[in-house]
Amino acid sequence: MNDGAKLRVLLADEQSLFREAVRVVLSAEDDFDVVAEARDGIQAVAEAVRTHPDVAMLDAGLPNCDGIRATQMIVERVPHCRVIVFSGEEDERILLEAMEAGASGYLSKEAPLADLMAAARAVHRGEALVPPRMLGALLQRVIHRRRERDEALKRMTNLTRREREVLALLALGADNDLIAQRLVISPETARTHVQNVLGKLGVHSRLEAAAFVTQNGILDDLVGVER
Amino acid sequence: MSVSTRRPIRKQEVWLRQAEDENVVYDPETGSVHILNATAVAIWVLCDGETEPLEMVDAICGLTGLPHEVVSEDVYGILDEFDRAGILGWTK
Repeated sequence: MNDGAKLRVLLADEQSLFREAVRVVLSAEDDFDVVAEARDGIQAVAEAVRTHPDVAMLDAGLPNCDGIRATQMIVERVPHCRVIVFSGEEDERILLEAMEAGASGYLSKEAPLADLMAAARAVHRGEALVPPRMLGALLQRVIHRRRERDEALKRMTNLTRREREVLALLALGADNDLIAQRLVISPETARTHVQNVLGKLGVHSRLEAAAFVTQNGILDDLVGVER
Repeated sequence: MSVSTRRPIRKQEVWLRQAEDENVVYDPETGSVHILNATAVAIWVLCDGETEPLEMVDAICGLTGLPHEVVSEDVYGILDEFDRAGILGWTK
């Protein structure tokens, strides 16, 4: 949002009645402008890309690409857009998935509409918004994920530079031949490197190794491999 | 002993009751009742004997974007209050 400009909102919910209610309430405020509406996830992402809203409010249960997946896609495609996910009732699983997908806030539809407006203003200021009663569980999850990532990074330090390159290529779906081609080594050497990587990481397959990288978000930590 | 090298753990017998707008910790041993705000409840939940205070601070900073020193002061302040109320133990 530019200085003095209204906060531009994308509203996505399958139910037109809910969208209408929220739009009416937001439009009555001086600082809100509902720039787009969507009734499913795909439309929400498309509208976000088209209108570049400041805040996207998404129902978790959107049809055709749910609100969690739509959150992830919007955050990737419109980085400045902050996303609030809401669901029918407070649901810890949805909260965790939403925050991991990149949402900045989570609300249940049981909350007053005034809370939704306050949430939109808050996330736009850069704050995270979580129902207080759910904060502890969320922090536990955040800490757990950090520990997993630290552990993954620790295991990665056992890899040689070449093995890191191999792991990065594995994570990108390369087979032995492609790894060999990219690293200018023989397929047999590539296979040896792959076996060493699997052994050092304590995983049993290429797929598991790729998942190890993806789940821990460590692709960028691997040495530069031209993608 | 530095607080940051130890891990806080809730006293087993103390229980937390969360109502609509009120969070109460009750210690049946002493009969004491403590009313907690939302942040204090979150910290209380994290006092599992495995989580270091610094991990709590880092997680809250990561989630909220608040400055480390501000969060650190809050977290250690709350833990100190729990400690003084006698509802917390520490593990190494």
